[in-house]
Amino acid sequence: MNLIVFALLALLAITAVAIAKLRELWAVIMFTGIYSFLSASWMMILDAPDVAFTEAAVGAGISTVLMLSTMALTGKAEEIPRKKSLVPLFVVLVTGATLVYGTLDMPHFGSPNAPVQVYPDPSFVERSEADMHGLPNVVTALLASYRGYDTLGETTVVLTAGIAVLLILRRDDEEKDESAQLAGNKTS
Amino acid sequence: MIDAIYAHLPILLIVLPLVAAPCCVLVGNGRAAYLLALVVSFLTFACSIVLLGEALDHDVIRYELGNWSPPYGIEYRVDIFSGFVMAFVSGIGAIVLVYAPLSVRDEIPASKHYLFYATYLLCMTGLLGMCVTGDLFNVFVFLEISSLSSYALISLGRTRRAPLAAFQYLILGSIGATFILIGIGLLYQMTGTLNMADIAARVPHEHGPRTVLVAFAFLTVGLCVKMAVFPLHTWLPNAYTYAPSVVTCFIAATATKVSVYAFVRIIFGIITPGFAFDVLPLDTELMLFSLVGIFIASTAAIYQDNVKRLLAYSSVAQIGYMLLGISMATPTGLSGGIVHMFNHALIKGGLFMVAGCFALRLGSVQLSDWKGAGRTMPFTALAWAIGGLALIGVPLTAGFISKWLLLTSAFETGRWPIAVLMLLSSLLAVVYVWRVVETLFFSEPSEAAANATEAPLRMLVPTYVLIGATLLFGVWTPYSAGIARQAAIALLGGTP
Amino acid sequence: MTLESIAGLYNYWVVIFLMMTGFYIVLARKNLIKSVIGLNIFQTSVFLLYITMGKVDHGTAPIVPPAIAAEQAHAAHGTTEAGHAAVGHAALEHAETAQGLAHDVAHNLADDAISHGSELAHASTEIIYSNPLPSVLMLTAIVVGIATTALALALVVRIREDYGTVDEERILELDRGE
Repeated sequence: MNLIVFALLALLAITAVAIAKLRELWAVIMFTGIYSFLSASWMMILDAPDVAFTEAAVGAGISTVLMLSTMALTGKAEEIPRKKSLVPLFVVLVTGATLVYGTLDMPHFGSPNAPVQVYPDPSFVERSEADMHGLPNVVTALLASYRGYDTLGETTVVLTAGIAVLLILRRDDEEKDESAQLAGNKTS
Repeated sequence: MIDAIYAHLPILLIVLPLVAAPCCVLVGNGRAAYLLALVVSFLTFACSIVLLGEALDHDVIRYELGNWSPPYGIEYRVDIFSGFVMAFVSGIGAIVLVYAPLSVRDEIPASKHYLFYATYLLCMTGLLGMCVTGDLFNVFVFLEISSLSSYALISLGRTRRAPLAAFQYLILGSIGATFILIGIGLLYQMTGTLNMADIAARVPHEHGPRTVLVAFAFLTVGLCVKMAVFPLHTWLPNAYTYAPSVVTCFIAATATKVSVYAFVRIIFGIITPGFAFDVLPLDTELMLFSLVGIFIASTAAIYQDNVKRLLAYSSVAQIGYMLLGISMATPTGLSGGIVHMFNHALIKGGLFMVAGCFALRLGSVQLSDWKGAGRTMPFTALAWAIGGLALIGVPLTAGFISKWLLLTSAFETGRWPIAVLMLLSSLLAVVYVWRVVETLFFSEPSEAAANATEAPLRMLVPTYVLIGATLLFGVWTPYSAGIARQAAIALLGGTP
Repeated sequence: MTLESIAGLYNYWVVIFLMMTGFYIVLARKNLIKSVIGLNIFQTSVFLLYITMGKVDHGTAPIVPPAIAAEQAHAAHGTTEAGHAAVGHAALEHAETAQGLAHDVAHNLADDAISHGSELAHASTEIIYSNPLPSVLMLTAIVVGIATTALALALVVRIREDYGTVDEERILELDRGE
């Protein structure tokens, strides 16, 4: 099991660096799909099958399709070689160092005594057994009931994005062209 | 029946605009959508006023969504502070809608009107949701609702720079939101809960402060992007300048204030001032950034030729005053910061409305095109003058009340250099307000201005409601500074 | 820095490396589509951060085996409603006091009411479940992420229509030339 995890983590890191380095947009989009897929696999190992499914479907599926269709509409942009600025690298290094500093007091990975695991008590699994009349998947119970309003909010976000895409891409009535139609397809 | 509605007011406040938004899309007609949005926004305003009254009379109102008590479920809580912010956000949202139709007809193609009003309502939902929720992750969800809708609204501007400004805001705003998400995650990891009051009770101050520290840093940086604190303000001038006038009025008056609200909640409600100001030197850092921001942004405002951009830089500076009040962490200073959120929302909303009136009549917001417009559009120009005085902080205007509280607090805590700097920075405001006043009243009219007529009453009346409110709340303060003081005391007295 | 803490924290460090790579792509790239991709990588890595938090050693996915769940449902219906209410009450009361002694409270209240139920609960707690809450949060965040991506890409299409390019520096040059 450990070997698989190490391999996955290494692949994730390699893919991320490849995305940063590559110039060809097409390849970058493909690697982004691969990255999502690798993350989904790791999520599977981390006991989160629901998230893994969603990530595979949404991250590797829908977003790749969206990016490819955008690329089809905008054309392959020529990447102009420029002098690299060091500012972004500096910002990222500082941010990363801050985060690593923050991990030093974290509960260790998988620790059963981590606050996340001991609180609230009784845990969500125990609560849901009592409350949900035998619903096997606790994630569903949380998603639809305990934190149902987050899910409503999430649906609202999708609604907002749908309306927004319509607003942005719709042309005035007289010049309704392909792009407007494509916008309709995208949101439906 | 009435009791039942009463008990569900906190959720009604969110559900009303939320349900109205898809209805606007379904009716598919600009006029009908507008009427629906108008009615709903006033109903929402009424809800928040009743909630504020309840919070003032009684105590914190708690509302457990789905009857799941925290930490299992999500809890909405309305206290004086959140009630105050909700009331002015929904109030200004409603008044801007009264003002909107003529300007919207002028600047946005008719086929998009119903979508525009739907997005407007969604933006309001998001902002109000951020105020009312007591759950940290729920804050993130509502933040994203308000952000996504504001990106779309900004992109509607007439020039091609508007979508670009929206895109730049989207990238920066999403980085900010992701930082906030990381911060929430780290706090969750150290406490095991997402309810804000619960986190405050469980956050370890002795064991593992490093993780909490970093979590707090990420939340601060993320919210600073949203608040447009110097030097993370870069998205704001373009966004405000190129967005349609109505959108600028609404977003400038409300969006950054709600982020300030969230920031105050996190400092005083979760991290506790003791930790934030004693363990971390947050007060000095915030003070430094806000003072530098006030001076640089005010100076930048002086050199702008586009009036909306001038007001945008002034907004960056004014955020500095709010943070200054927060960083003092005394009842007077904090109430100065809180009341400045309200006063500045009135002032900036009013001034952007004036800019919208000129944009409608003169077709431009370039200062050079406004020359002499004070002669043909005297009432609009007068509104600018009054709003400008309030922005500077002249006595008898609302701006004076907040600056007076900030000054008092600076003297109380013996920080007289800050008081001097605040007075100096007000002089910069005098310069940029005066530049516009001079152009309006003391220049030869440009061709456009000479032929212009007074702005229509449907726009002037709402403008004067906000501008008049800055005068009203300059002399009568129990419901502005009075509430702010109660809110500040509740915030400083530990978790209310 | 002991070997033990390295073993306990290296997962987080890898995730931080991934997040920062995504962040770097957003900051350093001039191509608008590539900034969106960077944002995507950044957000996906944050999902990983949350999911890593929820994992517990020797745990399994938070899905109660259907057999146990069905039995539980049966028990809940079979025993008196009062017993069920007692469990609910204990849990609620506990949520209010919010600290410690949960098992005691739950035990005392539930003991006589539903010995059968508590047996079952005991049986199912032998399986260690990973925390479901981070999964739920990330399901929401994934959807928020894709919504942001869709909106950003729509803006890119619009910008490309207006400017004829998706390169940020070229666009700024065009704007200055106006």
